[in-house]
Amino acid sequence: MIEVRLFATFREGREKILFLDAGEFKKAGDVLEHLNIPYEQVAIYLINGRHSKFTDSIKEGDVLAIFPPVGGG
Amino acid sequence: MRYERQILMKQIGEKGQEKLKQATVTVVGCGGLGSPVLTYLTSAGIGKLIIIDFDEVSESNLNRQFLYGIKDIGRMKVECAKERLQDLNHEIEIVDFHEKVSPDNIGKFIDSADVVIDCVDNLETRILLGRECLRRKIPLVEAGVEGFYGWIMSIGKETACLECIGFDNMRIRRQGPIIGTTAGVIGCLQANECIKIVLGMEGTLFGRMLQYDGINGSIDSIELQKDDSCRAHRG
Repeated sequence: MIEVRLFATFREGREKILFLDAGEFKKAGDVLEHLNIPYEQVAIYLINGRHSKFTDSIKEGDVLAIFPPVGGG
Repeated sequence: MRYERQILMKQIGEKGQEKLKQATVTVVGCGGLGSPVLTYLTSAGIGKLIIIDFDEVSESNLNRQFLYGIKDIGRMKVECAKERLQDLNHEIEIVDFHEKVSPDNIGKFIDSADVVIDCVDNLETRILLGRECLRRKIPLVEAGVEGFYGWIMSIGKETACLECIGFDNMRIRRQGPIIGTTAGVIGCLQANECIKIVLGMEGTLFGRMLQYDGINGSIDSIELQKDDSCRAHRG
């Protein structure tokens, strides 16, 4: 399983935390497609707290955190 | 006694209050986040505040920037903020700059600071502050807000910065949607974080980010890993 934690507007119409079968995804971008989140809407994508690219591999036990832009002051 | 109720706190006491009095804090941006940050740092007795903002007060600021009122529209934010804050606490020193922060002038704003607080709304200044605070080893309290959502993290030499987590690739909307309560919550957390750093307390937000969700009424903590190839940390 992988744990996917969504933040801010990505939660709207979705769950806050999802547990997905790791075997269904090869790359970080595959999870976005599964969740219908357009790549261009993603500001920060962390795998186990580390900055990641959409092409990075996903493995069993990974914790993903995905954020849209929130940069106002 | 102005501070008697906070001196009662075991984390503060007379010694802690003196630490707050001796501290210099730079606050960049006197808007939605800056209003609660400056109000609570002033109230807490931070000895010297350096405040910077190049903007003037407009009517659309008033849903969240409670340092200002109708009569202030068109005036410089730093001037109005200083008046309001000195009225709240005349015992502290406030130095104000009606300027835009740039690579050429940033030193005069942050060189003497014990803590810097970022309350701006643009990526360029965030990245500049991040790099320059890291270079000088000055703790930086970062935050952002939009709509009902916000986040806060602290940045230090040994922990993740915005560039470590890819924030520098972000496209930030100018004039994004915002409700005053979100800026209030996150600004209060920034002021609280700053006070904890000055007091040398544990439990600060270095190496993690708090994400506030005002719709679901929750705050989540996310651990952040420093990127060994980060340009900001290497600089």
